[in-house]
Amino acid sequence: MQKKLTILFIVIILLSLGAILWAYLQAPAEQTDPGLTVVPAPEQAKAQRPPCFPDQEDNYIPLPETENLALNKPIQSGEHTDVYVAANVNDGKTDTYWESKGFPAQMTIELGAAKKISTVAVRLNPSAIWEPRKQEIAVLVSQDGQAYTEAAPAAVYDFDPATGNRIRIDFDAVEAAYVQVVFTMNSSSRTGGAQAAEIEVFE
Amino acid sequence: MRTESKAAPRLILLGAAALLLLALAIFMILSPKAPRKGQANRAPEGQATLLTLYEGPKTMTSSPNARITANGHELFVYDVMVNHEHIWNANTQPSDTPMTYFDFSGKVEIDIQMPGLPTPVESAQVLPSAWGIEPEVADGHVRFAITEPGQYTVIYNGSVNKATHIFANPPETEVPDADDPNVFFIGPGEWTMDAIALGDDQTLYLSGGAVLHSIVSVSGAKNVRILGRGMIDGSDYPAWNQAGSYARVPIDLNHAKDVTVEGIILANSNCWNFNSYSCSHVRVDNVKIISGRQNGDGFTFQSCTDHVVTDSFARTWDDSLVIKNYSGSTKGITFRNMQVWTDLAQSMEIGYETDKGLTLDPEIQDVLFENITVLYNFHKPVISIHNSDDAFVHHIEYRNILVENAFMEGDNGRNNELIEMNLNKSGWSTVKDEFGSVDDVLIDGLTVLHTKDGRVPASRISGQSEDNRITNVTFRNVSILGQKVQDLKGLNASVNEFCENITVE
Repeated sequence: MQKKLTILFIVIILLSLGAILWAYLQAPAEQTDPGLTVVPAPEQAKAQRPPCFPDQEDNYIPLPETENLALNKPIQSGEHTDVYVAANVNDGKTDTYWESKGFPAQMTIELGAAKKISTVAVRLNPSAIWEPRKQEIAVLVSQDGQAYTEAAPAAVYDFDPATGNRIRIDFDAVEAAYVQVVFTMNSSSRTGGAQAAEIEVFE
Repeated sequence: MRTESKAAPRLILLGAAALLLLALAIFMILSPKAPRKGQANRAPEGQATLLTLYEGPKTMTSSPNARITANGHELFVYDVMVNHEHIWNANTQPSDTPMTYFDFSGKVEIDIQMPGLPTPVESAQVLPSAWGIEPEVADGHVRFAITEPGQYTVIYNGSVNKATHIFANPPETEVPDADDPNVFFIGPGEWTMDAIALGDDQTLYLSGGAVLHSIVSVSGAKNVRILGRGMIDGSDYPAWNQAGSYARVPIDLNHAKDVTVEGIILANSNCWNFNSYSCSHVRVDNVKIISGRQNGDGFTFQSCTDHVVTDSFARTWDDSLVIKNYSGSTKGITFRNMQVWTDLAQSMEIGYETDKGLTLDPEIQDVLFENITVLYNFHKPVISIHNSDDAFVHHIEYRNILVENAFMEGDNGRNNELIEMNLNKSGWSTVKDEFGSVDDVLIDGLTVLHTKDGRVPASRISGQSEDNRITNVTFRNVSILGQKVQDLKGLNASVNEFCENITVE
């Protein structure tokens, strides 16, 4: 009996020593530090818009889907501020803009031929950093670039990134070869002139 | 009987030993607290170490240039833009360097391997040297322990190439409620949107592990907070002066009031980094800036009042800490406990524009730079007041400034001073026909450890005329290359005739 117990104890001792050695050689378990926190990253295939800032494009003021008759057409205006030249106003990009030096500020667009028009849109960069502002705008039209008539009287329009930082001026359809957009006020504290990233003209 | 009586105690002892070893084996197998081979790098027993790690976005990969662990846990390493070109170049091409971050309290063992270096790591240095950390370098590993939250920079083989920035934040104490309607909560991951505009009483929280490609604007708003541990990244925009691009300032405060910015990282901006214009009561803490592109100024405040920046970091390719007047005067600006690395331009600049807005009686006053460590300055003066318009600049204090490496290369032999104060016109002047003055400047505690050529760099103080002078400038406790400066000659300073009461104590 004693011999059997002795053998049993020796076997237990040897197995235990083996188990202790085996356990010691194992790699440390991950996150065994009680003070460790690993903040996981979500599964993503590409950079996304943060969910806390839902896209507001559904709230943008709709513009006509017809051809923009002003795009890349010849233009004329007065002095501009800094590098914000007139050419930016119909280059098809809202991340470039024209800024006048003072008021009133006129931007004349030569359509190339008499066209029937009924909408002028004025757009700013829709980025949220272009904070809401008001601008007073009138639309004049001409057949010859000399004599202009009023298509839409001066009115104050609200530009707001929540609605795309764009406004549309609708008026009774009129034939025009020249469109003159006249700015007389801008409420932005950042400038003393008119601002427009794009001026668009639609049938 | 005698044999049995002797054998019984031995058997009992053997049985006891077997049970003890069996218990030990069970403990070793089952307990996470059991010792394991190769766990010397883990948190020491008895230390209440808290360590928070942030996985990088799944859309990005950790830098191949550096492998870094904290207490044995691998960190996500970002390659961020820096610039080793120490002269202005409008079309400069930045390089990159590794950066990582985590939060902790207690003690953390850092282990760095640098496969991105062209040669094996044979030596390393942990900056600021005031930490007193002597890293162990062996078998391609750089190892050291930290016990204090802060910003750590590791350089290898005596070179700044791939200098590694480790931002060891304190644990977050205030994570806003994501369900609060005034809180915009951005979690870990890679995010993009054109711009974020914050209004009154709103908070933007950018979690650790978040990389946000956007800019944040606070215009005309009050009581606004920007918090977190995440990063605002401008890398997907060309430099602002390149064709078709424009300036996208990651933190842009404009006529705002009561603004707090804490904990975030600004990297890869395509222009300035942290801009405050005509704002009041702004508090900035633990904000880290790394910038390598054109006009990448760090913290730049124009015509501001009551700003305090603490425990923050700026490695920049233009002025690191800069105060100007753009529209009105400046009063009450404090930078405290800062680390600065200036690859281009000045480290602590007042000017050049001191009256860009052409205001009546412009002033810059009550400015304090305190406990500032300049890790490197490679270009222009470390301390500079360039009153280039007509402002009255006064009560400016620099206290406890440590310049580890004053390597000012200047511009073709010019602008390489350690300290420069002048009233000269410049390309940034708006007021062309009038000058201002500088009065009451104290530099108390300025230590320079290393210079480019082992000699005391020049300093220059020059007024403009009898009516436009620099007066009452005191240098106290100045030490350069281990020598206490006793007089203006020891400072290697030139002072022109339109200065008065320029003293060394």
